[in-house]
Amino acid sequence: MGSLISQIQAVVAMNLRSLPQRIWMSLATLFAVAIVVAVLLAFLSMANGFQQTVKNTGSESLAVILRAGSQAELNSVITRDQVNLLSEAPGIVRGDKGPKVSAELYVTVDGIKRSSQTEVNLPLRGISESGISLREGFTIIEGRMFEPGKNEIVVGSSVLREFSGFELGNSLRFGKTTWTVVGVFEAGASVFASELWTDVRTLQSQFNRGSSAQVIRVALQQPGDIGAITEYIDKEPRLNMDVKTEAEYYQEQAKAMSDMIFFLGWPLAIAMALGALAGALNTMYNSVAQRAVEIATLRAIGFRGVSAFLGTLVESLVLAFIGGLLGTLAAFLLFDGISASTLGGSFTQIVFSFELSSDAFVQGITLAMIIGLVGGFFPALKASRVPVMVAFSVDP
Amino acid sequence: MSQKQLFELNNVNKSFTKGKEEITIFNGLNMSIKEGEFLAIMGPSGSGKTTLLNLLGGVDRPTAGDILFRGSPINNLSEGQLSKWRAEHIGFIFQFYNLMPMLNAARNVELPLLLKKLSRSQRRNSVDTALKLVGLEARAGHQPSELSGGQQQRVAIARAIVSDPTFLLCDEPTGDLDRATAVEILEILQLLNREFGKTIVMVTHDPAAAEYASRCLHLDKGEFIEKDLAA
Amino acid sequence: MTDTYLVLKNLTRNKLRLVLNCFAILIAFLLFGALGSLQHAFTAGIELSADNRLIVVNKINFTQPLPIAYVNKVRAIDGISKVTHANWFGAYYQDARRPMVGLAVDGDSYLDIYDNILLSDGGREAWLKERQGVIVGERMAHMHGWKVGDRIPISSNIFSQADGSTVWDMVISDIFRDKEPSADTNFLLFHYKYFIETQTFGKDWVGWMILTTEDSSLNERVAKAIDTNFANSSTETDTSTEKAFNRSFLEQVGSIGLIITSVIFAAFFTILLIVGNSMALSIRERTREIAVLKTIGFAAPRIFGMVLAESISLALIGGLLGLGVAVMLINGASSNPQLQSMLPNLIVPPSILIQALGYMLALGLITGIFPALRAMRLNTIDALNRG
Repeated sequence: MGSLISQIQAVVAMNLRSLPQRIWMSLATLFAVAIVVAVLLAFLSMANGFQQTVKNTGSESLAVILRAGSQAELNSVITRDQVNLLSEAPGIVRGDKGPKVSAELYVTVDGIKRSSQTEVNLPLRGISESGISLREGFTIIEGRMFEPGKNEIVVGSSVLREFSGFELGNSLRFGKTTWTVVGVFEAGASVFASELWTDVRTLQSQFNRGSSAQVIRVALQQPGDIGAITEYIDKEPRLNMDVKTEAEYYQEQAKAMSDMIFFLGWPLAIAMALGALAGALNTMYNSVAQRAVEIATLRAIGFRGVSAFLGTLVESLVLAFIGGLLGTLAAFLLFDGISASTLGGSFTQIVFSFELSSDAFVQGITLAMIIGLVGGFFPALKASRVPVMVAFSVDP
Repeated sequence: MSQKQLFELNNVNKSFTKGKEEITIFNGLNMSIKEGEFLAIMGPSGSGKTTLLNLLGGVDRPTAGDILFRGSPINNLSEGQLSKWRAEHIGFIFQFYNLMPMLNAARNVELPLLLKKLSRSQRRNSVDTALKLVGLEARAGHQPSELSGGQQQRVAIARAIVSDPTFLLCDEPTGDLDRATAVEILEILQLLNREFGKTIVMVTHDPAAAEYASRCLHLDKGEFIEKDLAA
Repeated sequence: MTDTYLVLKNLTRNKLRLVLNCFAILIAFLLFGALGSLQHAFTAGIELSADNRLIVVNKINFTQPLPIAYVNKVRAIDGISKVTHANWFGAYYQDARRPMVGLAVDGDSYLDIYDNILLSDGGREAWLKERQGVIVGERMAHMHGWKVGDRIPISSNIFSQADGSTVWDMVISDIFRDKEPSADTNFLLFHYKYFIETQTFGKDWVGWMILTTEDSSLNERVAKAIDTNFANSSTETDTSTEKAFNRSFLEQVGSIGLIITSVIFAAFFTILLIVGNSMALSIRERTREIAVLKTIGFAAPRIFGMVLAESISLALIGGLLGLGVAVMLINGASSNPQLQSMLPNLIVPPSILIQALGYMLALGLITGIFPALRAMRLNTIDALNRG
């Protein structure tokens, strides 16, 4: 047994030392694996980053109420009377100033995306003081808060990063009205950071919306429990609305996009992995062919077939592993943290960052090792079956 | 009977640079080969036998001096012209046969005919004739891996003569064969020389092989020590 | 026997290697075919839009309304031949999670501008005189099993009627096709008048305007004239060609093109590494044989050509197989109704096939050129290892 282990060690060491003889083939396989892993990680970190951003936005202790069937804040319309009726609903936290309810307006304005210099949709949210108090992570990091009644805007930190023209102190023209950016806010790594916020009444009057709102957010007495509100709405014929926790709402908004990234990323990576596998098999079969005399000689002096098998398998696994690490490193350097934006459920831009999770890292290395394992296994089998006779045949 | 000169080497110099060292193989070598002779060239390794063969075969060029083939120099032909010249005039036979492993015997023999403008049936006739001559017509469809060493060398001979060249260059044609098989090969070469008038130059280190030749030259350190065997 | 036979024999001598290389190339061209078609499907709408069509939207954003009075004001501007308008309805049928494209339009003028919409004989008249009439694209009608004369309830995820209902009753007046068979017909059109009179969000507005210029060379001037005309009014406009509008709309989703191009590039680079090395190895293994061919009298350019022919054949075999699989895959996917509604133009366009052929030749050339040069320059004396 001990001798077998030292046999294997010896053969593995011989294989790895002879790698430089096959340097180009080996490097090609190594890079192929690296590229496959990098592509997979790019998609996974994109899906992950997008999902994280949207997940960070939704709170379990808030409910989002929209007009029935409207699916997204942009589409919904809610009248002043409906807002008042809803404030009476049970299950809502009541503070000193009455129920914690925020009626918000959500309109779309144009911004210019820095990377492509094209016009994109940005959300301009009209919000009241009580609405801001509902957002836990909200802080002004530069400038100050807007003053109610004035055409003043605070912008999310991501807006500043991805879109041009929203710097502190800038004037913006929406139609005939001019607005001033007076502050920059941070709201965690959330969708809100991709929004522009202003006073809801000002927005209503400047955009001719009367007293209507589009979305109502309420603080829930029991986090996650929307039962009481749902029941209240069902019984009230003047309220035709959908209730969801904010967490659930954003989850649904993000699902289509992150699913698409995920379900596009994996098949692509698998297809490419199959291509790389063909390369690995090529390389390893070549390695076995090149070492046939050497393997047979070892067998002739008493080495066992299993040592030839493992020697080849380990060579393949080592190549794949290095390739996997290289691919991960490349993905980390190239993609991790880069900022991107896409269209969210409300037809407006959501800014997010690519985020390489430890999960993705493990998946990347696993994929690399599978390529190495399969790519090494069959050639290794061939290596273990090299006839001893080969050692004695001389080929010119 | 005065025979025409096939080859004439006038004052041929040949040297290589190997690393920083300059190795001189020939320094003012003169020789001539008559049409229709069977010349054996013997000598220890490193004596310049193979270099001489390469020069005669037009795969290598002299550093200085002239190589005349039927009176006209071949050392100033371009690569392309040399390829053409080889295809037209020379048949090569190698020690290790050098057959194409993926082609069967007949197709290996047919190979040089791809360099000529011949119809399919003309090519087939030539291949059949050549294979018949070496006694391998029954093995036409076999892959080289299915043939013995002697059979492979016979296929190689058929390949060398299929395009009816003037001149055969053999590099240790029996070097890899046992005695009896070697004799078969040498007898074929002799037949080609006597019956078909092929001029043959054969490099060998086997004195028994050299006995089949009409003349034998001994090469040592780039110079000839002439012995006439046929005389 | 010919050179072709020799090339073929060389190509197939190591069957395992051939299969592996072909497979690697197959994957690359499968990805190219499938992703290229996907990208084409995303951008197909842009390519189909007419050159002399302009879109006028609210300058704040295209989701903001325009006053209906603008339609007549725009009509008075020089260089414009026709004007129409449309409103986004936010339509869905029964399931709010599956929105569909539904526009409220001025029927007569809309059909004048979008003359690619083909109705049946008398279909146009029937629709125009039916207040609740709707015309439905062939693909949409097929998907839901709708026929002319059906009454269908179409809901809006944006608008509601005075009684709070969000459902509009409509009757199918006709089912339309598009002049271009591959064009998307997964949408419906109904009357602006019916829409504006029943919904509760004001009575004097439209979503956007579409107009045609007398000649596409006038586009820029007309667009400028419109935007200047409404500058400093309460509602400013932003006019662009339909093409540019569609393109920038697509750009909002993200750099789909960039992502697809990067993936294809990565795939090709990987396959280039694998196949290139394998090809180089094959030629190295054949050093001796090539030397023999040259000795026999095969000229260097001929050998160069044979090696190149081998690598190009390899690329063509793998590539064509991959393209075939891509075509099957795309055809299979595009018959899936859900995908069809998302990507109506999902086909493998001829341009992709031609490009793929070009890339196959390029791949064969690049993977073969160095081995071929090596073979061509091979020193026969060293290679035969004599002397």
